[in-house]
Amino acid sequence: MATAETVLHIEGLTKIYRSLFTPAGVKAVDDLNLTLRKGETYSVVGPNGSGKTTTLKILLGLIFPTAGSATIFGKAIADLSVRERIGFLPEDAYLYDCFNGEELLDFYAGLFGYSKRKRAALVEELLTLVGMQANRKVAFRECSKGMRQRIALAQALVNDPELLILDEPTSGLDPAGRHQMTLLIQELKRRGKTILLCSHFLAEVEEVCDRVGIMYRGKLVAEGSLPELAGEPEEVVVTFRGLERVAGAAATRLRERLHTAGVAVAPEAAEPDETPASSAPAGAFATLRGATGEVHLPAAHESKLWVILQAVNEAGGQIVEVSRPRPSLQAIFVRAIREVPE
Amino acid sequence: MAMLSRRARNGLGALFCLGVLLALVPVQESIYRARPELLERARSRRQHAASMIGMGPTPAVIAALGGFRSVAADLLWLKADQVWHGGSWWAMLPLLEGVVELDPSFELAWKVYGWHCAYNLNAESKTDIDRNYWLQKGIEILERAGETNPKSWEMKWELAWTYYDRSHELPRAAEAFYEASRLPGAESYVSRFYYRSYENILDHDGIMRALAYARTQHPKDTKHQFLVTRDTNYWKWAWNDPREHRRIIVKENTARYQRAVPPYLYPNDPFWDVCPVCGMPVEKGKNAVCENLSCPNYKHPIHPQTATISASP
Amino acid sequence: MTPILLRIMLVVGLALVVSVIVLTRRAWLPGIGHGLPSIWRIAKITVAEARRRRVLQAVIALVILILLSMTAFSYLSPQEQAKMVIDGGLAAITVFGILLAIFVAAFLIPNEVENRTVYAILAKPVRRSEFVLGKYLGALIVLAAMVAVMTVVLVGVLVTLDHLIKDQAGSSFNPNLAAVVLAAVMSYCSLAVLTALIVLISTVSSTTMTVIAALIIWAVGSLQSQIYVLAESNGGAAKLFLLVLYYLVPHLENFDYRFQAANFVAISVPSAIGAVIVGIGYTLVVLVVASIFFSDRQV
Repeated sequence: MATAETVLHIEGLTKIYRSLFTPAGVKAVDDLNLTLRKGETYSVVGPNGSGKTTTLKILLGLIFPTAGSATIFGKAIADLSVRERIGFLPEDAYLYDCFNGEELLDFYAGLFGYSKRKRAALVEELLTLVGMQANRKVAFRECSKGMRQRIALAQALVNDPELLILDEPTSGLDPAGRHQMTLLIQELKRRGKTILLCSHFLAEVEEVCDRVGIMYRGKLVAEGSLPELAGEPEEVVVTFRGLERVAGAAATRLRERLHTAGVAVAPEAAEPDETPASSAPAGAFATLRGATGEVHLPAAHESKLWVILQAVNEAGGQIVEVSRPRPSLQAIFVRAIREVPE
Repeated sequence: MAMLSRRARNGLGALFCLGVLLALVPVQESIYRARPELLERARSRRQHAASMIGMGPTPAVIAALGGFRSVAADLLWLKADQVWHGGSWWAMLPLLEGVVELDPSFELAWKVYGWHCAYNLNAESKTDIDRNYWLQKGIEILERAGETNPKSWEMKWELAWTYYDRSHELPRAAEAFYEASRLPGAESYVSRFYYRSYENILDHDGIMRALAYARTQHPKDTKHQFLVTRDTNYWKWAWNDPREHRRIIVKENTARYQRAVPPYLYPNDPFWDVCPVCGMPVEKGKNAVCENLSCPNYKHPIHPQTATISASP
Repeated sequence: MTPILLRIMLVVGLALVVSVIVLTRRAWLPGIGHGLPSIWRIAKITVAEARRRRVLQAVIALVILILLSMTAFSYLSPQEQAKMVIDGGLAAITVFGILLAIFVAAFLIPNEVENRTVYAILAKPVRRSEFVLGKYLGALIVLAAMVAVMTVVLVGVLVTLDHLIKDQAGSSFNPNLAAVVLAAVMSYCSLAVLTALIVLISTVSSTTMTVIAALIIWAVGSLQSQIYVLAESNGGAAKLFLLVLYYLVPHLENFDYRFQAANFVAISVPSAIGAVIVGIGYTLVVLVVASIFFSDRQV
């Protein structure tokens, strides 16, 4: 429900692409409901073809919905006055490539009816903000990907918008570029902008976003803040080391103690960061990787914690950590997609 | 700001467009009235479609189809010029027909086309029938030129001159000179040729009427007014002087026919003798001498003798 | 058509136009203050973009060379030479004007949509109709500059030849410069109408189809009097088809004054004014339809 603090409100938004060859249509967005409050940074994540860009294009009036509605600042999206208060960073920085950054920003500022003096001041300010003062005269086609994204972000900020819509802002950037872009977004967040962000880079999303929405096949399958999405920690993890000293009878005893306690020893993981949940058996299990090991105790098996600690200690291992980890956004993402019925 | 629904916007837009298109129809009709050549060209092209088929070089055809008729006409004109210098007079005909068809206001092309038939091909012809045919063809072409360019005095002049100089249909020449002189831009000599035509057939009423008309033309042209006044005064007294009368006729006919002698220059002509050497008429008199520059007897006295040459005007 | 019918059409047409304008005034009037500057800005950037395109510069250079080569007719009489130079020069301006109109206009909107540069613009407070009008105005300015350059070169060639020939005793060239310039201006007006149509077609089809359609429309528009005459002599479905073609396709022949300029015939000023009025009216209709189509297009 929309309130005075609501910046964006989407209700029942549906977009079906119909063509001669697909008369039934392809549902790009399916009954989407979403609300964005003032000052919030909301990220929409999803695999390719999940409807993220389609949703953004509907909000900007580039395409038209089949059903449902959306309001920005309480006004219909077709209202032109709404665009005075929003800024849009398109994916892949689609700008005129025969002009330089200064000319582009001057042009886009001119579309808001600013005077020449104001435009000049704005251009200066924005080039400084995105760090492009030295390259202001470089033609857009000659700019690197990072430079282009920065100019594109600058044109999105030309009217000091209240709502920023960023489509894949870090797409195609090297790690340094992604870091710089993330810092910029954090700066904008600090200045009180409401940001709607679409991204594939979950690490950056985790860094900047207050709330995340996961889209899959046009539907919003999960939504909430990261702690909400992660939920209660599902297991206790005991991490230990020093197994190089555990050999022979001691190693056998450790395995027997674990087995007696009902903890299965999973096959050794091929990759260090392979998610145990994806390859390990259900229930309590242990993984041994070289000199270190982990024991995962789901909630139902938490009572075995003391037994496990004793077994490791008696075997000569050293307990490094006992923790209750929350799942990463990537894990949440994969889980959410898996739960969607085919 | 009030926003229109899509349906309302489309409907009102359609009404607006319909209104503008309706209002433009009478404006377009007024353009056709002010520029009748647009439709007349299209109508005449349908009638003369057959003549387009045997047209000249391919670029001209393509240019014509592309709507660049005047460029196509120019290309054909250049080809005609090339053919003329190559000596293929007969091959010029379809080219010139194409030129005037494509660019009907190309007056020079009409003039050359008409002149070529009435003069060159007429002269080249071996038989009287053919000669007459080409002369009539030239006249027909020049008549078409006048119809296609009704405001052009030069087209009428060409037709009139052909009647006057080539086919010697002097009444028609007079009429054509008169029509040409009435068109805007006509030179003063056109109205003078109006009465010259009557002079050559000695139509007194015609001469005086034409002189009176010529006087009303070009009132500020002092040379023209002088000539008309002189000729008016001349004909007022010359008509009643038989010697002067005959002198004019002899002079005109001699100038035109060179050795041809008028039929009345037979024996016992009271006013004329014939030079025994060159056969040119010489005025009778005490010191009558041959006035023909190319005659060996030039400026030598002649003796009256019986003329045996029969004239063929 | 009878005069009374024509008058009725004029009155009804104007009444429809005025009533639509008045009925919709609340929709368009408030937006004018912001809309006109936006249209101008988009036009300026279109011009700036076109200036940097090498292909347009190459075409202009080629036309200038062709116009200068018109001096090669020196073996003809002055009158023939004058006709050849004026005919050829105006034809070059027309042909290359059409090519330039296609180069400039056919790629205007499709390129923006394909390259997605339209996203950043439409995300700003710019109406789609303002975008279309801005692009059209930009194309007009580019074409005006190019036609002006070609006309200046043609006039220069004529003046130079006039001086050269006058130096020869007993010759006269006397090109009718005013008629030549007017013919060039009218040629530009026909390009303006054609450009509007190209913009309309480009809002709904691909670049290739736009180019083909533009060439067909130009060919049909140059033969409207033929179509009118054919419609007179036909009946039934053929007549209906021909009349629809006659009323829908622009009358580009109205702007053809090349005959008059080359043959030193007086140009009828009322017909020229009438042609401009028809051109403006038709262009207005086309741009309204283009704006409607583009407003409904999903980019």
